[in-house]
Amino acid sequence: MMLKADNIASSRQYYFAVGITWVLITVLILRFFQIQILGYAQYSQKANTNRIRKVTTSAPRGLILDRNGQILVDNLPTYILKAVPGELSQKGKTFGLISDIIGLDSNTVLKNYKKYYRGRFIQTRLAKDLTFHQVSKLEENRLNLEGIYYQQFPERYFPSDVKASHILGYVKEVDRSIRESSTNSNEYELGDIIGWTGLEKRYEHYLRGQRGVQFYQVDAFGREVGYVADFLPRDPEPGQNIITTIDIDIQKKLEYLMEKRRGVIIVGIPDTGEILGAVSAPDYSPDLFTGMILEDDWNSVLYHPEKPLVNRFSQGLYPPGSIVKMITGAVMLDNPDFDPHFEQKCEGVYQFGDRIFACWYQNGHGSVNLTSAILNSCDIYFYKNIHYYKLDKLAQYFRLFGFGQPTGVDIVGELIGTVPTTSYMNNRYGRFGWSKGALLNFCIGQGEILVTPMQVFNYVNLLATRGQTFKPHFVNVDQILETIAPTFNKSTWDRLIFDMGQVITHKNGTGKSALPLIPGMKVYGKTGTAENPHGEDHAWFVGWMNYNEKKYSIVVLLENAGSGGGVAAPVAREVFTDIVKVNQLVAK
Amino acid sequence: MRGAQSIPYKEMPLRIIWSVAFLTVVGLIVLNSISQQYQDGKILDTPFTKQFLFLFPAALIAYIIIFIPRYTIHKYTYAMYVLGIIFVLLPFTGNPHAGTYRWLDFGLPFSIQPSEFAKVFTTLALARYLSDHTLQMKHFTSIIIPIGLALLPTLIVMNQPDLGTAIVMMIPILPMLYWSGARPFYLFLVLAPIFSMVTAFHTTAFTLWALILGVVIITSRPNLVWSLFLFFGNIFLGLLSPYAWNSLTLYQQNRILTFINPEKDPLGAAYQIIQSKTAIGSGGILGKGWGEGTQTHLKFLPVQDSDFILSVIGEEMGFMMISTVLIVIGYLIMQILKRSFLSKDRFSSLALIGIAAILLAHVFVNTAMTVGLIPVKGLPFPFISAGGSFLIATYIMVGLVLKLSVNYAD
Repeated sequence: MMLKADNIASSRQYYFAVGITWVLITVLILRFFQIQILGYAQYSQKANTNRIRKVTTSAPRGLILDRNGQILVDNLPTYILKAVPGELSQKGKTFGLISDIIGLDSNTVLKNYKKYYRGRFIQTRLAKDLTFHQVSKLEENRLNLEGIYYQQFPERYFPSDVKASHILGYVKEVDRSIRESSTNSNEYELGDIIGWTGLEKRYEHYLRGQRGVQFYQVDAFGREVGYVADFLPRDPEPGQNIITTIDIDIQKKLEYLMEKRRGVIIVGIPDTGEILGAVSAPDYSPDLFTGMILEDDWNSVLYHPEKPLVNRFSQGLYPPGSIVKMITGAVMLDNPDFDPHFEQKCEGVYQFGDRIFACWYQNGHGSVNLTSAILNSCDIYFYKNIHYYKLDKLAQYFRLFGFGQPTGVDIVGELIGTVPTTSYMNNRYGRFGWSKGALLNFCIGQGEILVTPMQVFNYVNLLATRGQTFKPHFVNVDQILETIAPTFNKSTWDRLIFDMGQVITHKNGTGKSALPLIPGMKVYGKTGTAENPHGEDHAWFVGWMNYNEKKYSIVVLLENAGSGGGVAAPVAREVFTDIVKVNQLVAK
Repeated sequence: MRGAQSIPYKEMPLRIIWSVAFLTVVGLIVLNSISQQYQDGKILDTPFTKQFLFLFPAALIAYIIIFIPRYTIHKYTYAMYVLGIIFVLLPFTGNPHAGTYRWLDFGLPFSIQPSEFAKVFTTLALARYLSDHTLQMKHFTSIIIPIGLALLPTLIVMNQPDLGTAIVMMIPILPMLYWSGARPFYLFLVLAPIFSMVTAFHTTAFTLWALILGVVIITSRPNLVWSLFLFFGNIFLGLLSPYAWNSLTLYQQNRILTFINPEKDPLGAAYQIIQSKTAIGSGGILGKGWGEGTQTHLKFLPVQDSDFILSVIGEEMGFMMISTVLIVIGYLIMQILKRSFLSKDRFSSLALIGIAAILLAHVFVNTAMTVGLIPVKGLPFPFISAGGSFLIATYIMVGLVLKLSVNYAD
């Protein structure tokens, strides 16, 4: 048994160990003697007169500007009211006086006091969002408000008359759970402001400033009496401003058009991918999230049946309907045996296997070629041509146009939608649970295919620029990447673009009402009327206009509003008209 | 199997028990003073109440350990060591706690700090290895394995990161090797490369170090090739280290510097030291009185219930109490050393000196930090600082001391 190994420590070793122990203890005691006995006078003076308190001040966030430098998001200096619990002699009376002056329920003051209490000598927040006026009234009653302090606090403020709530997003106060979940807990302090959605979140590292630190001398009662010379204060550094691609005037027009409607409009410049304006309707007022939200207001937004908080342009999933027929056209045009002038007969219905597929125009379009099938949006023409191709071939072309993957737009939380492939269909319905009829639905943008309006915007930009566009974006600070793009022959692009022009200009074109009466303006587009399980059809209009050698692209989606040509195209006309008006104003 | 024996209470080292009791009571008194700040409701949340409640399981565990036969402790040390390693690795599987992986959260109202327990198990494993292999201790190579044994948990803890506990984990190896008969010269060789690398950044220090190195190598007289290798190997390592340092990026250098010396961050650690020294110094001989410390109660003093608890004692109870506390814990450590010396078997003797070294390391690092002698390292003071895991680990050590210091057969 190893335990029987004898102890061989010698007395020399023992005395050496004891010696080291006492040497170390003696060193420590001597150090205490030096500090407590010899340094007593110095340190006790320091403790009485020279107490140092570390106070951090929050830095204002950077501003968010529109493309012409107009302010979209600003900071409003507000004040926070605080109390030092240890200095409050008559808590009830003081709180009563405060609530009289600032007009806040005294129960709320007490509730805040209890919520934020962290210690007798730590400043505790009583109220926030006080105006300068309220603070000056409090200042008049300074003598009756012992132990009450206030501090300036920059808060988000929206000076322009656009809402843009889904683009700008909102900020949140850092609480314990946010702080614990962040990777570096020193990065944010409780009560700091953090970008929570939208651009505020995506560009947080530009917008957030660096908080300042000040060291105050405080007297024996904990009251601040001045700065400390040994520790230099660090001033708060405001965050950087960011310039967005938004045009306030266009955004305003879009919001006006979407009032009382449900859906999305996105307008932008196809050559750069810049977004001039985007609306997701219904929306909410951006200052909903600043200041003290009343619970009723909050609930009315949160539980609203039309879900105003959902960002429809990058999180809404919709069947695209006929607006994707150019992709089906591209699949066919890439086949050397396909003749776009060859005519098919549309009799209003088409039997495929044991199923009947109808055209939206039940009387039938008669003889149609590719151009007329796109301009009058005939479904039968596409049914009759697409069944020579595989489902995965069509899916591959959809992916080339950016569907089924993120567009990379700089708003966090984008959805990718669905592009059905053979394996997707097998997974969902089983190997024999679906037929080639799915391909027929898919080729006219119905069935399993789901897209976000932002993907559609990217798709329109690709068509308008023949694949030479960039990822859609709201801010230019980071490097913008070119988007995934299909490479077609010039003749394929020419054909698709020519057909989209016919949609607007031909006497039978479904998009006729998108053309404004402005000489020199050319419009290209496609309408869509998407059937969906939620009621009335969704109305789509996608396209772009060419004016003064400048291109502007547009996506209009009106939920459950009817036909694309009848409802969405006129909205696009109004936007096109407005863009010209706005640009002429700028040109002057 | 032999069952638990009757305990020879008369043989129990009363001096050790009284010292532990005294220090624990002082700790509770100080924590009670701090707990006044938590006056608004939630009595269960004060450091005093928490510490008081942890005292019962801690004392119970210490008491149970007295009944475990010595050979059982010896038999399971390696198993406990492996368990300790797994235990310190567990936090890495969860979410970081304030940016570190020190804590284990079992959904209890408190978290567990596994490194505190691993520290004790590592020392026991070392004691077993060194007592089982003591005959070969005269060879330099035979001290490599025990060093590896201690290094493994230390490196894990260092990555949590918890430099304080990592240091405490490595400390016992030196006295234990010394105790088991390793030549002091070999211990010197283990430490030499560290000195060579650190002093290389300062010409005078490096010259001085090279002289010491030469003298030590000559006096201990290894053969010529060996001594030349040792001397020039160290010098070469020293000359190389500035180049290694310069090849790091500025960011990496700063990370290492703040790791070694947090006072590099003047708004953080320097502020803490100033406040701690002001608290201690303004206490004077007798202190400001219980619950009267302004530095403490105006919250100028940081982490006052654990890392800087000695500053609270210094402020409220003065130099008299501070020196009493230090003398009592010095006395306690000396008693453990004495029991280690008197112990009849080598395993107990080594375990006891290991525990004494852990306690001394805690006392020295914590105290020296509060008075600004060494950089700020988060390390608690035994028996006094608040902290459930630490209190229980300390009482496990007390139980082991009581068990192993009584020399009856089992």
